[in-house]
Formats: sequence, C-alpha cells, structure tokens
Amino acid sequence: MRKNGNYDPSFAREVFENVDFGDEIKMCMQCGVCAASCPLSLQMDHPPRQIFTLIRAGKREEVLSSQAIMLCTSCYTCKVRCPRKIPVVDVMHGLANYALKNGFVPRKDTANFGGKFWDQVYRIGRIDEKDLPRRYFFAGGFVEGIKNTLSFSDIGIKMFLHKRMKLLPERKIKGIISLRKMLDKAEKMQERGGASV
Amino acid sequence: MDKKTAVYICTGCGIGDALDIEQLKENGTEDFTIAHCKDHSFLCGPEGLDVIKKDTEDEGINSIIIAACSQRVNYDVFNFGPDKIVERVNLREQVAWSQPPKEEDTQMLAEDNLRMGCAKVDKMELPEPFKAEEEYSKDILVVGGGISGMTAALDTAKAGYQVLLVEKEDRLGGFLGKMKKTIKLPYKELTETGAEEMIKAVMEDPKIKVYTSSTVEKISGGPGIFSVDIKSNGNSATEKVGAVVQATGWVPYDANKLGHLGYGQFKNVVTNVEMEEMAAAGKITRPSDGKDVKNALFIQCAGSREPEHLPYCSSVCCLVSLKQATYLKEQDPETVNYILYKDIRTVGQAEDFYRKAQEDGNIFIRGSVLGVGEAGDKLYVEAEDELLGENIKVEDLDLVVLAVGMVPMTKPETTPKIKAPADSEDADEDGMMEVQPDSGFFATSALNLEYRQGPELPTLKYGFPDSHFICFPYETRRTGIYAAGCVRRPMETARAMDDAVGAAMKAIQCSEATAIGMAVHPRAGDLSYPEINMQRCTQCKRCTEECPFGMFNEDEKANPLPNPTRCRRCGVCMGACPERIISFKNYSVGMIGNMLKAINVPEEDEEKPRVVALVCENDAYPALDMAGIKRMSWSPYIRIVPIRCLGSINLVWVADAMSRGIDGLILMGCRHGDDYQCHFIKGSELADTRLSKVSETLDRLALESDRVQFVEVGITDYDKIPGIIDEFMKKIDEVGPNPYKGW
Repeated sequence: MRKNGNYDPSFAREVFENVDFGDEIKMCMQCGVCAASCPLSLQMDHPPRQIFTLIRAGKREEVLSSQAIMLCTSCYTCKVRCPRKIPVVDVMHGLANYALKNGFVPRKDTANFGGKFWDQVYRIGRIDEKDLPRRYFFAGGFVEGIKNTLSFSDIGIKMFLHKRMKLLPERKIKGIISLRKMLDKAEKMQERGGASV
Repeated sequence: MDKKTAVYICTGCGIGDALDIEQLKENGTEDFTIAHCKDHSFLCGPEGLDVIKKDTEDEGINSIIIAACSQRVNYDVFNFGPDKIVERVNLREQVAWSQPPKEEDTQMLAEDNLRMGCAKVDKMELPEPFKAEEEYSKDILVVGGGISGMTAALDTAKAGYQVLLVEKEDRLGGFLGKMKKTIKLPYKELTETGAEEMIKAVMEDPKIKVYTSSTVEKISGGPGIFSVDIKSNGNSATEKVGAVVQATGWVPYDANKLGHLGYGQFKNVVTNVEMEEMAAAGKITRPSDGKDVKNALFIQCAGSREPEHLPYCSSVCCLVSLKQATYLKEQDPETVNYILYKDIRTVGQAEDFYRKAQEDGNIFIRGSVLGVGEAGDKLYVEAEDELLGENIKVEDLDLVVLAVGMVPMTKPETTPKIKAPADSEDADEDGMMEVQPDSGFFATSALNLEYRQGPELPTLKYGFPDSHFICFPYETRRTGIYAAGCVRRPMETARAMDDAVGAAMKAIQCSEATAIGMAVHPRAGDLSYPEINMQRCTQCKRCTEECPFGMFNEDEKANPLPNPTRCRRCGVCMGACPERIISFKNYSVGMIGNMLKAINVPEEDEEKPRVVALVCENDAYPALDMAGIKRMSWSPYIRIVPIRCLGSINLVWVADAMSRGIDGLILMGCRHGDDYQCHFIKGSELADTRLSKVSETLDRLALESDRVQFVEVGITDYDKIPGIIDEFMKKIDEVGPNPYKGW
C-alpha cells in the first residue's frame, strides 16, 4: 500500500544549514552505491540513499528517528566509493548528532553506550573492559543487568584467560587533566558549528 | 587497352611453406593468357616491388595479379599507378594461415583462388572516371540558417569554398537567436549565445551568399552538378552547387497533445520553448497574472520516451531544464525548483552543469507524473516518487514547465500519401497510399529533389534523415547531401556546431571527389561507375526502384536515366537487373560468373565437395581475414569470392555455380533490419529477399533449396566463422553431392 505525502523543502533547507556536512546532500544523484556498499544496510530501516531522498522530500520525523543514522560503524566504504564525493559517513554522524540535539533518540542502546563510553573516557582517559560493560549492561535495571552479563560471560571469560581483562580496576591516565581540557574545547567547537566550520 | 598480365606469387609469411609453388604456378594459370608467373619471398619489400616495377617498364606488363596477402592490407604498397590493373589473390589469411600446410586440399584451394583471380582480370578493364557534360561546381548549398547551418556556412567559407545559405525565415539565427543563454564547454555555467556575432559574421563573409525568407524550390542533377532553384520574396534564382548540407533543424513536440499535463488548461503550464522565450524577453513571471515565481516544477520527458508520443529521448531537455532552473535561481535565489525526472541525461561533460544545478539546491524528484491540477491560483503536481516508493504531491507551484522533446523538421505532422502503384495492396479507395519513413516522400518539404525515389531524404523510423549514425555520421541516403544538427538527431548547441563542421567537411570532400570522377564513402576513390546497355533494357524499373541512393531517374517510358555522380558504386543495380545489362569496368556479372566457372570441381567419386562463399568485402571478408590471422581453421572445400555488396549478387550466379556442379552457395553479409550494418543500407536485405526467391531457380535445376544459404556476419564475428562454415558443410553433406557434377 502506497502512502501519500507532500513535498516540503523546508526540512532540506534546515539540514543544509544546520547539520554538519548537511549541504553535501545536495550533490547526491541517488545512484545507490552507498547503500550497496554499506555492510549494515540490511539492518538499516533506511539505507543512506533513502535517508537522502527522505530529507529532500521533507520527512523530518522519519529521518531524525531513523535508527540508520546511528547504526553507521564508520567503515568509510561509502565515502570512498561515492561518485559524487559525498562524505556519507560524516553526513550520517552529523545527522545523528543533530537528532540527539533535537530530542530524538533513534537508537536507545547506541545512545546509551555512546554516553557511557564518553563518560568513561572523560573520567579516566581510557576504557575499562569490565567497568564500561557493567555500566552499560545495568543501565536498564538489576535484573536486566544480570541477564546481559550472563549472555556475554563466555566472551568475558575468554578475554580474562587471554589477559585482555584485568581483575583490578583500570587507573587514570597520567595527563587526564590535559585530556579533559582538550575534550572540553572540542565540545565547545562542536557547539559553535562543528569542526567543519 | 591491350592487356599484358603477369602473376606474382609471394612465398613469405608462411605461404611458401604451405604450398607447392611450382605446381601452383602451373595449375593456377594454365587456362589463361599470362605473360609470366614469378615468385618472390618478400614481395611487399623493396626488392619484390622492384621486380614488378621492372617488368611493367621493360615488358609492358599492365595487369598485375598479386597472389599474396589479403586485399585488405598493403593496398598502398601494391599500387602501381592509375594505368595498371591490380588484382589481389588471397593466399595468406585464407589459405596458408587457416589451412594445414602441404596438403592436397590446401594446394587445390590456392590453385582455385589463383584461377579465380586470373579469370577476373581476364574480363577486367581499366575504369575511366565519369565526366559529366556540364561543368562541375564546388560551391556548397546550406539549407537552414540556425546554429548548424551558420556554422557549416562559416566553416565551409573558411575552407575557401563559396556557400549559399538559404533560410526560410526573414532573419538568420533559428532557435539560437531565440535563446537567452546557452551552455557550452566547459559546461560549468551559463554563457552568452553569441547569436548576434555569428549572424554578423555570416552576413559579412564575402564567400557566403545569404538568402533569407527563401525556400528551395527544386534541386535537380547530382553531386557536382546540382541545379538549385531558390525562391525568395516572389523572385526565383537558379544556382549550381556541388554538394548540399541540410541543417533544417527541429520543432518542439506539440504540447497540445499533452493535455493530461495541464497544457492548454492552465495558463501557468508552459513548454520549455515558451519558458525560453519568456526568459529571453526579460523576466520570468507567472503567465496568468505576471506575479513572481516562487516555486517552479519542471516535468522532464513530457511526452518523450512514451510510445504514444515521442518514443525516443531527445537528450537535451534535461540540460535545458537545468539551465532554466538556473535562470530562476539567478532571478531570485530563494526560488524553489523541483525537477521531476525519469533519468537525468546530461550527455558527456554536461554532467558538470548537473552538478552545478545540484549545488544550487534544486530539488530532484525521480518518478513519473500522475497529474497536474490547480488549487486556488496555485498549481499542484501529483507524481509517483520512485525513490520514496510513494505517491507524492508538490503544492504551491507558480509555474510548471513541460520539457518537450525535439522533432526533426523533416517529420511531417501527418503521414503523407502518394499515388499508389496500380497493383498495390495498400492503396485506399482513391488509389493513394501512406508512405513509409524510409521513402523519400516521408518528410516536410525542404529540398524538393527531382529524384525518382522522392523529393526529400529518406528517413529512419522517427523521421531523422540519417543513414547510419554510428558508422557514417552526416551521410544520408542521397549522395552529396549531408544532414547536420538537430535534423539528424537531437543535440545541444555545442554538439550541433561539431556536427555542422563534420557535414561541411563531407560536402567539400564530395564536391572535390566528384569533380575528378571518384566515388565518395564508403568506396571512396573508386573510379568505376555503372554503365548500362540500354538497347536491351526492358523497363522493369528494378534498378530505379532498388538503388539505395536514388541514382536513377526515369523518363515517361520508364527508361532508367542514370546520374553517375549520385552513385556509390555498390552494384545493387547490377544485382537487380534481370537482363544483366548493368556493369562496371572492373566489376560485372560476367566477371564473377567467370570466376565461379574457374573453380575446378572434382568428380563426385573423389568426395571433395565444392562450396562457394560470396562474401561482402566490407564486413564479412575482414572477419574471415581476422579468423585467418587468429589461425582458426575451416573446411578447405570452400571458395571465397569477395564482392562489393551482397546487394550486387545477381541470381544468375546461383545458376552458374549450380550448373557447374558446385555443391552449395553461402552468402555472408551484414546484419539487416532496424540496426542494419550494411554499408549500402539495403544491400544485404535485398540479397536475403532475392535469395528467398531463388528456390524457383533451384527448382528449375531440380536442386534442393538447402544448397543456398544467407548468413549475417558482423566484422566482429570472426570467432563464429569456422562454426558457420562447418555447419553449412555438414548440411551440404546431408543433402549430398550436386548431380550436375562433370557436365
């Protein structure tokens, strides 16, 4: 069953002006090389090509709540292959950022993990292989946390046996104060309009 | 000319290793008057050539048979001047390289090939170039004063030739003069059309004579001796020209047939031509009330690529719409342009302009239009969006532009009718019948040729007067008349200019070649031409009807009136003539017949069948050579006879061959039909048709019609050659030996 929709150019304009690398979308000619190259396109509700066409059609809701924009794993195949040289990866990240800023959470898990990851990097300057999963697993409550932990236990044991995971907590890095200063500055730059400006 | 013939056999390139040369010399020439027969191990080298040159000087040898490589190679090396007959016998590609060495069958093949060469030269005469009684003109007539016509005129004049430029409107310029801007190389932005400068250059050029408000009333004669009647403002002038460039351009597809897109119904629905006129006049506004345009939508392929309208793509409308969207953006950067397209086809480097239009933020919608409607004073367009998979609606539109395609000027509004022949089945009550696109009657009048086959250029199925756009651009089916620009195929300005230069070059070549009696493409340089023994003509009209180039006119008694400067030397008339009275000095029915008779046919109990292949020398013969170069092998029982075009095959050859005991006959010619590859347009098709009637001849001889077969061979089909021949040999084997052997 086909839906009916009206073309509305205002969202396209919003994206061109406000999203990091958003104006690059103009150059898309809908060839679909990005979607064909993407290792995750089968998992996406809208592969990159569709995201771009939805933006042109003015489907704000659909684009900003699409899990695809947060599913990108930054493999860069699309960016390398795009015949119009659109940095598709950067556009997808720009859209994910813009969605979060505007109160959309396209993928709760990804947003949650990203948040916890950032927190930990900011706190100790590195990733603790025990602590990060623990925080991530237990975000949904105790019972959920136990379940999640058990489902990953075989990986955990193997990592432990291969000395990839220590029993003791990880220590902070030496220059943590300087790192935080850098991260703070990066965040301010982002607010001013991103690195692209 | 007193012929003194000598044979030179090259033993290089493996020929000497494959054959017994002494035996070949003896058996290959015994039945013919040959002054001497020599061999050399490197005939195309300086020493080998010296041997031949010395003989021509010392002994007066004037007919030279070179038994060596294919006629397709070294033709420049084995050229001993225009007063010598040279015939090539293929012993390399089609014998030494494709047959096992030192075998009896290989030797017999070589001997037959040499005998055929001797038989051909025996009948051959030195061609004398045709010279018309009138004086030849080298002036060029250009019909149409648009961008193509003006470019053709300017470039012809630049090359030093006089030009007559005939334009039906009162001023030059055509569509170029009506445009606001154009897009040229490097296709990055809009550029000025340059129409005014161009018109000025044409008007001021002393070599160009411009006739405005004029039409061509009549063109008679042929290349080199065209007589043109030009009518302008009631006056008539007669001019002589050598060749013609037709650059009559195009008209937009009639938008009145596009009512379903709102044309004629809503004032704010316009065509791209009307849009261009509006832009050229100043500001683009809403035609209904003159207010500003805020939102515009371009419907691409309006009527194009649709079977009930224009079935083809005009290849320029995309670029035109992008250009017009840019006008709107230049007028007001806030304008929103939607472009509803099936495929954006910006050909070649014009892709760069598509990029520019994307950078400008135009919105491209891929899909097909469902309808156009009006809500208040705004339009809306409904469409099926292919990429969204939804039906969409674009509202609030001030202007909808229909990108209509190009129709060649030649294509008539309604299919014209001509008087049907008395026995025609297609005739209506009034004795009239509709004409076909490939007849010279199917076109709105532009040239008014006094040709028996119709007053205009024959066209392809969409009305474009081309003959083969890939292999022979600008060539039409009337020698000396070349089509350029949008009348030939839809194209944009930059391409039309290239096209015009190409056609002008062709026209100049034609007038120069004709003046010295030479043929033009594809047998460029050929000095022979068909001669008719009129005493035996039965007025059957086959030659006048079948000549692909309309060479013959006809008098009221249906006698053919040849115009040799129109001839392309294909020999289709020679194949058509049931009385066999049309022949060339170096190519005739009798000559090929004698070649067939020169083949030695072994007795039936020797179990060595003989098959003759009549092979088109343009495509099939090089394919056979290529198969030989690739060392492919095929039956040694086949005898290959190159001919100018399969259309020159006279059915008497079938009888000649069969009555001699030849077991089978295979014709190898070009593909025919819509995507024909025949260099003479209809030759292979005619051969196929004639062959279907050959069963009669075979029946008369009480022979199976399976013995004769037509196959289509492209120049790239060399890999299929051994398969084709083997299959045919198998069939001949099944049919059994020809009972006429040994008669």
